[in-house]
Amino acid sequence: MANWLTWKKIAITLALIFIALYPFLHGDTYIMHIFILFFIWAVVASNWNLLMGYAGIFSLGNIGFLAVGGYVSGILTKSFGWSPWLCIFLGGLGSMFLVTLFIGLPALRLSGIYIALLSLIFADTLPTVLTQTRSITGGAMGLHDIPPLFEGITRFQSYYINFALFLVMLTIIYRTIRSSTGLAFVALRDARDLAKALGVSEYKEKLKVFALVSFLTGITGGFYVHYLGDISPTTLAIEPFLLTIAMMEMGGIGRFPGAVLGAVIIVFGNEFLRLAGTLRLALLGALICAIILFFPGGLMQLIDWIDGRIAKFKKNRTSSVENPE
Amino acid sequence: MGADKGLGRWEIKDLINALISGLISGSLYAAMALGLTIIYGVIHVFNFGHGIVAVLGGYFAWLFMTEVGLGLIPSILIALVIMFFFGWLLFKATINPLLKSPNWEFSTIIFLLGLGILLENLTLQAFGPRVKHIPPFFEGSLNLGFVWINWHEISLIAIVIGFVILLNLFLRKTWFGQAMRAVAQDMDGARIVGININQTFGHAFALATAVTGFSGILLATKYYMTPNIGWNWMVKGFVIVVLGGLGSATGAVYAAFIMGLAEAVVTLYAGSLWVWPSWFVMFVIILLLRPQGLLGGRTL
Amino acid sequence: MNGQGDHGPVLTIKDLDSYYAELQILRQLSLDLGEGEVVALFGPNGHGKSTLLKAVAGIHPPKSGTIKYRGREISRLPSEKIVEMGVAYIPEARNLFPEMTVEENLRLGAYNRRARRNLEENLTWVFSLFPRLEERKDQVASTLSGGESRMLAVGRGLMSGASLLLIDEPSIGLSPLMKRVVFEAVGQIKSETDVSILIVEQEVDYPLKLADRVYLLKKGRILFEKPAGEVTKAEIEKAYF
Repeated sequence: MANWLTWKKIAITLALIFIALYPFLHGDTYIMHIFILFFIWAVVASNWNLLMGYAGIFSLGNIGFLAVGGYVSGILTKSFGWSPWLCIFLGGLGSMFLVTLFIGLPALRLSGIYIALLSLIFADTLPTVLTQTRSITGGAMGLHDIPPLFEGITRFQSYYINFALFLVMLTIIYRTIRSSTGLAFVALRDARDLAKALGVSEYKEKLKVFALVSFLTGITGGFYVHYLGDISPTTLAIEPFLLTIAMMEMGGIGRFPGAVLGAVIIVFGNEFLRLAGTLRLALLGALICAIILFFPGGLMQLIDWIDGRIAKFKKNRTSSVENPE
Repeated sequence: MGADKGLGRWEIKDLINALISGLISGSLYAAMALGLTIIYGVIHVFNFGHGIVAVLGGYFAWLFMTEVGLGLIPSILIALVIMFFFGWLLFKATINPLLKSPNWEFSTIIFLLGLGILLENLTLQAFGPRVKHIPPFFEGSLNLGFVWINWHEISLIAIVIGFVILLNLFLRKTWFGQAMRAVAQDMDGARIVGININQTFGHAFALATAVTGFSGILLATKYYMTPNIGWNWMVKGFVIVVLGGLGSATGAVYAAFIMGLAEAVVTLYAGSLWVWPSWFVMFVIILLLRPQGLLGGRTL
Repeated sequence: MNGQGDHGPVLTIKDLDSYYAELQILRQLSLDLGEGEVVALFGPNGHGKSTLLKAVAGIHPPKSGTIKYRGREISRLPSEKIVEMGVAYIPEARNLFPEMTVEENLRLGAYNRRARRNLEENLTWVFSLFPRLEERKDQVASTLSGGESRMLAVGRGLMSGASLLLIDEPSIGLSPLMKRVVFEAVGQIKSETDVSILIVEQEVDYPLKLADRVYLLKKGRILFEKPAGEVTKAEIEKAYF
């Protein structure tokens, strides 16, 4: 049995090849823009998924991580003229420090609900703080004319840079899941007391993941900001928040690469969502409710089901070959 | 207000006004936090749709008053009844099944978030974005020498006090209420004495929805009402119940007054724009110093 | 077997299998209880005694087998219905309502509709059984001592007007004095009423004196069943190993 070549691996490889070649095959700049948004949001959602689904940290403020990283990078680039690459890195650090300080340390030792509340209020308070600090952050209007990654960058180049970001980030996340930290979380989930007896420090592991995710998301915020050229408090509005939650849900929370699949649907489907006009948010809310009620495992649940059918099919085939009735 | 921002010149009069204002908003917050506490205490679920429920209560009351032309009190009563049944139905249809799934803590929160947005948007479609008011209960004010206070505001405090007493009586003197307390204090014990846990959950949810709707009506008479104002109220409610101690009704009431007063003082000295961040800072401080809140560990 | 009254035995359990996840606790267990009988169930810890009581009470339903209470099949009924029918479970953990007073706890014991009618009567009777509780009736339950909270748990169970009491290790963790008080109360219940009692215990002396019949449960099965007069403490303790 060529077990190595599962249909999933084939599908993923084909998809990646398609994405890599798209600019040459068709190269429509608008569609490339959507792809770039997909790269960025897939990374944000996957990071969030790592935090919520694997580490079990119920954070509701990840958009805040993105915004902090983006704002820091944008402000530094505009005010000091430093290289965007450096500023993106600093943005990631900024996000990591701020978030770990204000959310991680106070709330990680407490039960899950406190993190949910604290991170929600954090993300909610940011717009007010941003509006108040107009001189630094551009207030309600936000920052504009943020320099791109390098002068004269084309859509084509942005596409590949962000595609690379996508691949690198997902690899990091995948490796984290497979690492000792990832195993620690599975152990904590399935056999909590035993894991703790064996010396797994829940708090330390959670802090590690929290710092990592806020750092990575902050960096992604930097790339986001240097691609789009502006950022404002609306990034922290309810809509991106709900969209990202919907991405995770649709894909299947706690499953890799669920969030990526969810991002595919949401980012490309968002175009249709625009048509709904003012009912957009209602539809989003309804979608989120519907998924959690009827399809809680998301797309990964569907894929598992397909896998199950394939396994059954194979079993029936081999058994009928071995035992002809 | 005319006062300078920051440590500007202050007068006793301004301070007293601020404190009175803080007391009033504190009492309104108390009414609102009670709804959250009931649901958390009995069902151990955090109602992330709390804000829109409060707003809906206000809108229903407004609807009956303006479109249907009923008086103030009948409108309020009908709105409360509607909210009660709405809460009951919502619980049976959606939350109850979710509670049985393995990830229920997580699922219920996400579901209620999504539902909150859905309802908020629908309310926006139905009622439009313009600010609505519910008229105050009384006109005119009382002169206490150097400060003025509206009769309406006095009535609000009285209503909230009366309401808290009523709720307390209900919880302690009726079988329904005692069942809720029992489930909140020891679920297994409640099962043993023959209480139907799921049914009690449903009652608690329905009651909390009506209570929250009522608080929304009260808030709408003092402030204004738009579909999205619920979110702010809700977040404040969250901070209050944590400060009071999750699950403790008395704690929530104390915390509500504390935060109401604190908010008024911050508004006086730093300006209303720093109120929101100050709630966040308060929250962080509480979590760092005393996460179980004032009366944490106690229940209904 | 014995215990056949006009309406058949109060409790008939046949071939009960019960699991916790994949682990089988009770294996084809059968047991019965007649009107007004006191039956003691002995056995080592962790072999299924509590699981059996929980199955009857509807708190941890069995995988297969039947449980009949006065002829009615109850193994799939929800716990509140079983309480309504007259079965009271008094767990080892007591599960009292910590912030309610002794009296409030007792009154809640009469939550089911049938018991509400006789609430005041039952309350007076429980206070007569446990005068200590009456002294402390306005005291909050979390401040009671070990023995007092055990008394309250039993008293609360009695408030339900049950005709079948399932008592799980009432004397565990109590001082010798308190143990005597609790078992004397059980003895009073036996002599003053026709309530049937299934009592699970580690401690052998008192229950053996009170019981009409004795079962020994080991590894999820009934090892033997004998009238209390025909078995000695030594025999029972030997069977533990």
